[in-house]
Amino acid sequence: MSEPCASPTPARARKQLKATTIMPFVTVVVVVGIFQILNPSFLSYHGIVTIVYAMSYFLIAACGLTLVIMMGSFDFSVVAVMKLSALLCVLFIGKLGLLVIPLALAVSAAIGFINGVLFTKLKVPSFIATLGISVVLDGISLLSSKGFLHLLEDERFRSISVTFIAGLPSIFYWALGVWLLCTVVSVATPFGRRVFAIGGNPRAAALSSINVDRHRIIVFVLSSLLAGLAGVLYVSQQGGWSMEIGGQMMIPLFASVVAGGTSLRGGTGGPQRTLLGVIIITWIQSGLLMMGLGREIQFVILGVIAILMAVATTERGKLTRLMVK
Amino acid sequence: MNHSHTKRSGLRGVWEATKNYPVILIVIGLVVIFSTLYTKLFLSPVNLTATLRQFVTLMLFSIGPSIVMLLGSMDLSFIGIWMLGSVLLWILTPVIGPPALLVFPLLGLATGFIAGVVHTKGRIPSFILTLSILITYWGLTVVLSGGYPRPVKGYGFITASVLPRVPTPFLWSIPIILAAIIVVLRTRLGIYFWAIGSNEEGTRLAGIDVDRYKTIAFMLSGTFTGIGSIILFEHLGGSAPVEFNMNNVVRPLVAIILGGTPLVGGTGGPHRTILGVFTFSILYRGLYLSSLRPEVIDLVVGLVLILSVVINSRGARMKGVDVT
Amino acid sequence: MVDKTGAPILRVKNVSKTFGGVVCALDDVSLEVYPNEIVGVVGENGAGKTTLMKILVGIHAPDRGEWEHNGVVVPFPRNPQEAARKGISIVYQEKGVIPSLKVYQFLFLGNEEKHERRWGLQIGKMKQHAREILEEFHVQCDIEDFMYDLPLSTQKMVEISKAVLRIRLEQNRDTTDSVIILDEPTAPLTIEERRGMLGEILRMKSNTSFVYVTHIMQEVMEYMDEVVVLRDGKRVGYFDMSAQKATEDDLSRAIVGREILAQPHEKGPHMDEGGEVVLSAQDLTTRGCYYDISFDLHRGECIGLFGPAGSGKSEIIKTIAGLRSNDSGKLLLQGREAKQNEPAHKRLSRGVGYFSGDTANELLHDWPITKNISILNISKVVGKFLRFLRFKAEKALAARIVEQLRITTPDVNTLISSLSGGSKQKVTVGKWFEKNPAILLLEDPTIGIDVGSREDIYQAVLSMKRKGMSMILVSDDLKEYSTLCDGVLLMRQGRVTERISVEQISEVLKS
Repeated sequence: MSEPCASPTPARARKQLKATTIMPFVTVVVVVGIFQILNPSFLSYHGIVTIVYAMSYFLIAACGLTLVIMMGSFDFSVVAVMKLSALLCVLFIGKLGLLVIPLALAVSAAIGFINGVLFTKLKVPSFIATLGISVVLDGISLLSSKGFLHLLEDERFRSISVTFIAGLPSIFYWALGVWLLCTVVSVATPFGRRVFAIGGNPRAAALSSINVDRHRIIVFVLSSLLAGLAGVLYVSQQGGWSMEIGGQMMIPLFASVVAGGTSLRGGTGGPQRTLLGVIIITWIQSGLLMMGLGREIQFVILGVIAILMAVATTERGKLTRLMVK
Repeated sequence: MNHSHTKRSGLRGVWEATKNYPVILIVIGLVVIFSTLYTKLFLSPVNLTATLRQFVTLMLFSIGPSIVMLLGSMDLSFIGIWMLGSVLLWILTPVIGPPALLVFPLLGLATGFIAGVVHTKGRIPSFILTLSILITYWGLTVVLSGGYPRPVKGYGFITASVLPRVPTPFLWSIPIILAAIIVVLRTRLGIYFWAIGSNEEGTRLAGIDVDRYKTIAFMLSGTFTGIGSIILFEHLGGSAPVEFNMNNVVRPLVAIILGGTPLVGGTGGPHRTILGVFTFSILYRGLYLSSLRPEVIDLVVGLVLILSVVINSRGARMKGVDVT
Repeated sequence: MVDKTGAPILRVKNVSKTFGGVVCALDDVSLEVYPNEIVGVVGENGAGKTTLMKILVGIHAPDRGEWEHNGVVVPFPRNPQEAARKGISIVYQEKGVIPSLKVYQFLFLGNEEKHERRWGLQIGKMKQHAREILEEFHVQCDIEDFMYDLPLSTQKMVEISKAVLRIRLEQNRDTTDSVIILDEPTAPLTIEERRGMLGEILRMKSNTSFVYVTHIMQEVMEYMDEVVVLRDGKRVGYFDMSAQKATEDDLSRAIVGREILAQPHEKGPHMDEGGEVVLSAQDLTTRGCYYDISFDLHRGECIGLFGPAGSGKSEIIKTIAGLRSNDSGKLLLQGREAKQNEPAHKRLSRGVGYFSGDTANELLHDWPITKNISILNISKVVGKFLRFLRFKAEKALAARIVEQLRITTPDVNTLISSLSGGSKQKVTVGKWFEKNPAILLLEDPTIGIDVGSREDIYQAVLSMKRKGMSMILVSDDLKEYSTLCDGVLLMRQGRVTERISVEQISEVLKS
């Protein structure tokens, strides 16, 4: 078709880009502001440490999930992997000492591998595969733990998360390190670029010499690996394990990834945006907790926020390749 | 090439039916296995009653989502409708008496409407959307109930015994199930839902308002869940629940897929889901009678979910879906 | 002979349509259809055929134009239902079939009212009516068959029956003056199925008229009563096929608008001369698509696969690219045998690149130009020691390509979605230019692009060829073959009929 006119100005595209980029920042400021007003001790040293404890392991798991979502898939097994990994540490610390850590990580990675294979080779949609796996893992956790609470008192193990450096617990630095690593890999390496490409347009990615299946499996492995790491650090931080770990963490996890600006369609966003989302969500949760509101109303609010954020970060206009079903 | 199937009767017909409904074989197999293993327990009247009760619970939760799945979408809000409806019932019964039962279908209808509109206009994937609704409703339930299960008196007539050994809720559920089947098999709605699930673009090209019918599907799902919840409320204890278990969400999905309604939609429906629920109930009761722990059973459920999706996607590949 | 004594059953005059104030899709086009005839509508891609059809069935509203019915001016239909009431219905080229429905359900999809009561559908009546329709149109299937079970040609026949049925139901009459628009109906069919369908359509002519959009010259010559030619949105030609003896050459000239001459161009090594063989196809066969395809490609050479739609050329090039599998035969790439059914990225690692004019599948639309180019050329934008992406290098690379190909864009960071069609395609060409594979497969590389961009792309492709890149071209644009190719394999019905040199292309039209 002859198109005699010059190419249209990309002004509108630029405007929308600004909105999705700026909004998370604005939200953070607003949220922090509101809670500080409502509860003056929000930003006290004690308050901050509490939030750091709530946020660190969460951020690690969220980074892994972000990678999967960037790629255009879903991983619902993150929390179950975290729980199982923590359980492994608790159960085997006696026999294996600190070697439980590589054990837990290896098992987590293996689960991720299974997820990846189910998805790429057996063509099971990712949310069903990971959902099913999460049910299986929870069953295993319940069986192995017999439902009991387990304490973990090994000093060395606990020092991984709870050693205070420069006023903040070590888990903070772990989380920061993981986040930096994920961000750099996503934004500045060929691998990260390819993962985004698969999320943006799998067919174009395949035509651009990307081995789509292999990358998908790797990303699922990474996601579970990071979930496993989160589990290890979490149990190190808490000093104990129960079936309640993670609870209904899946929704806040998703909400933070989406709130940060990583679109569920894939191809945009990344761990750097997730940091903002995690800050928003965990600060909201902590703030609500400090105000004495129960867990459940948090979920009400989070449910609404998740939907709002998803709507806001959805691209308007042109046709979308992903079938929104 | 002539594709006329002039005769579908006799053994050929049975073979065809089994190919279309492989679940039948599984049911027969399960019944045989369990009957041999636990003859006394499995074939006892007590077990039969328990199986029927299991059937009712699972079936009434599964009707709604099995309609939406025809579109190729997911509706996970059903548990939420039941929970929130229950607590609303607790609040409203002292005020307006038995008509408070209407809160269930009304809530279901409203939920379906909101879900449908947000999904079609807001372009939110149905899975995430209805999951968020579910969690939100759960939260509201806990808030409104103060965190405690709240019994509501006065609805015992729903479960009052009519036939010996046959749970009355089962009798109540029959017309509901039939209504759902009629809607899908005998009205244009079923055809439209299948069409949208099979080829949304083509359905649009045929001049059908796809957004409108998608919303109708969600509304039907919510309404059926609501009506079913009237029975489920009393059937499951007569009090507003506070516990939330992801298993309750997963099991109906398993039953639906097991019954032969594919995730991507295009075919199937409540008539198939009956088989899936039936299979699942038998499987569950059989496992329950063995000395396996409940956790193992849930584990098996997870595995069955994955397996049934894998098996089903090997079947008629009627459209090339880029799996996400 | 078309009977023009009565009034035409469809007449539209001076139809014009512009999209977004910028793209002129149709400019003053008129069309008439008389009873019991097949009117062919031909033209290049982007000529306006689809837009015109969509206006006729009410999907688009024209900016200007008149619709005459029995001499009275009536409004254009606003949706497909209204169009059906006016007696017009369309069978789309693709996506029209609902695979999981049974035949009788599909036939009445969207028009169930006739067999519907308050409580639901009267399925028995619907099935009976369906049976009658299938019998009337000699469709070889059972009403209980699932659409996905039917062969493609039968599916099309069911679609055509549905189109006629829709008109009858909307008009509430049993026989009508109807016009069925067929948009390239035989494109996905195998050679054998095509004849059967066209025979059936001829038979249906006694009840219905057809507007038949096609690229296939053979169909136009053999089956059409009248032919209307569109080019660049205008009606540029009309042929009464029964009266005049129009030749394919006449038609092609009208479609393309210029003489098909061999253009002076860089000549690569002549086929069959010496030179390294970079690709060798040996007896490649896929049942139903192509048979025993064998040829050698030398370094720096460009071979074209030319033939009417459905000759198999598209399937062959996709097979070589790794997007389709073949049933049998061997493919040697640079001497080594390529595994059957290798995925595309593996083929690329063997030096075979592929691109098509279908930018939806080639580019990432939410990404800027820079990233689209670098995703294929990662090695050029990573650091030497640590394999990190170097953004400056990425930007420089994109800038270089933008300049070389004269891509109209304010900035290299512009998103692809903001670019015009020609610019998008240039980005695709640019990234392959940079990638420089040993073998490049091009399918419809300049489809729907303006003339200026086309020339720029040809220049780029020719310079790649000069540097030793070998190419295979598949296209519907004859001028493209003469500009880019050294030799052409003519294909018909899945087989290679002849190898000719590029100068002989114009002769081909006469055969």
